Amino acid sequence: MRVAAVALNTFRETIRDRILGVIILFALAMIVASLWLASISLGQEDRMIKDFGLAAISVFGLIVAAFVAASLVRKEVEKRTVFIIFSKPVSRSEFIWGKFLGLAATMLTVLTGMTVFLFALAWMVAGSPSGSLLLAGLLIFLQLLVVMAMTMLFSTMTSAILASVWGICVYAAGQLSHNVLSLSRLGHSEVTHVLSTAVFFVVPNLSAVDLRAAVVGEAGHGTTLLAWCAYLVAYLVIALFAATWIFARKEF
Amino acid sequence: MRAAVTSARAPGREHDVTLTADRPTTTRMLEVAGLHKTVAVGFRRRKVDILKGVDLEVNDGDVFGLLGPNGAGKTTTLKVVLGLMRPTSGTVALGVAGLSELGYLPENPYFYDYLTGAEFLRLCGRLFSMDAHERERRIATILDDVGLQPAAGVQLRKYSKGMLQRIGIAQALINEPRFVLLDEPMTGLDPIGRVEVKEIIQRLHERGTTVLFNSHVLSDVAALCTRIAIMRDGRAIWQGTVDEALAASPAGDLESFFMKVVRS
Repeated sequence: MRVAAVALNTFRETIRDRILGVIILFALAMIVASLWLASISLGQEDRMIKDFGLAAISVFGLIVAAFVAASLVRKEVEKRTVFIIFSKPVSRSEFIWGKFLGLAATMLTVLTGMTVFLFALAWMVAGSPSGSLLLAGLLIFLQLLVVMAMTMLFSTMTSAILASVWGICVYAAGQLSHNVLSLSRLGHSEVTHVLSTAVFFVVPNLSAVDLRAAVVGEAGHGTTLLAWCAYLVAYLVIALFAATWIFARKEF
Repeated sequence: MRAAVTSARAPGREHDVTLTADRPTTTRMLEVAGLHKTVAVGFRRRKVDILKGVDLEVNDGDVFGLLGPNGAGKTTTLKVVLGLMRPTSGTVALGVAGLSELGYLPENPYFYDYLTGAEFLRLCGRLFSMDAHERERRIATILDDVGLQPAAGVQLRKYSKGMLQRIGIAQALINEPRFVLLDEPMTGLDPIGRVEVKEIIQRLHERGTTVLFNSHVLSDVAALCTRIAIMRDGRAIWQGTVDEALAASPAGDLESFFMKVVRS
């Protein structure tokens, strides 16, 4: 009940934020711009729209995840609304989980809107619907949930701007870690290989659920997709427990 | 019930304050004994004692005024009582079952700009796990009590300072608390706003609610309070009834008594 109350309040706070509206408008404009790119790509219209559209959704979703998640908890502390919240029978974990779930609801709303828009556009151009596009949108949502959880964890330890930067770094590292590990296996340096392995295990492997290549017909989904999804859910749950643990030690 | 709040308490557990079953006394709402709070400040983590052994006793039904110059430790004392800060040592014994029976208005409160007054109170009601019917009944009553019924649908960013203070008091009373803590409730209010807040405190007293508030406005304290404590430099250096304070006052008013105690 109290988690739901904090979540509903966070959803209202974020969805009513004008900045969010501006970000969504930019994202939709980028998706529409993919039509122009499609028109100059010979015989690759369908692929170009899907690839560019999904990239736009990822980038603008990342902006929302990193910047909004970083300010959610910080803002409450700085503006001292935590005094109101924690003078009521609300635990620190209920607060952190409520904040996360509220932003997750906002993110789901935003990504659903953008993905359905892209799906309709791709259907219009290709003449047939692409179900994998919707699955790709869902997996972008999962990737961004992990970034949000990590950014919230960082925001309990440092400033909002640093937490945003670290959140974006986690996203970038999560997209590259698997490639870096593969490359290090080709080289002869043991140090590089050990370091790459360490990074691979510490940062969330976001590229494992990246379906952009599959959507445009370059590779199969693989059989381990569900296992990687479970891994990312476990990763974000651990990150939120860590955020709760740190936040519970704070005094106001 | 008694809250055994000591430095040995597990960190981060302040919202389920360890309370023993025995009440301090049948008439005591709050008993604070030997409360110390030390914080580390600056790059070198220099230790600063904010509270140096605060002893306070608030009786059930009191309107208790906590007075003192800036930096005396009044707000910190309230925060420790509420569990927003952990004490370094000392005990806090509350005569209520926990935060569900407490109400709190922070100093210079900031609320969620994007919510309307009614939405904000609805949020507070949900945080107390009130069911929808009870919540709506309390919101209607409390908005009426603080005179904000006409502004219930207006976003809080459009509220004046006085209206924000009143919605702050409304959120502190939404759960019909037995014990209300108000941190500088008159700060920044115009004379009309001050009178309105005084009337609210008076009504709470008439209903038997225990009120503890910090204030620098000594005339308000003299008019409202049954008992007072004066804090200076992290200690409560005097406490007693308002009548006792006035009897011991050089000029027969609270201001001269306050100055005498603080300068002693």
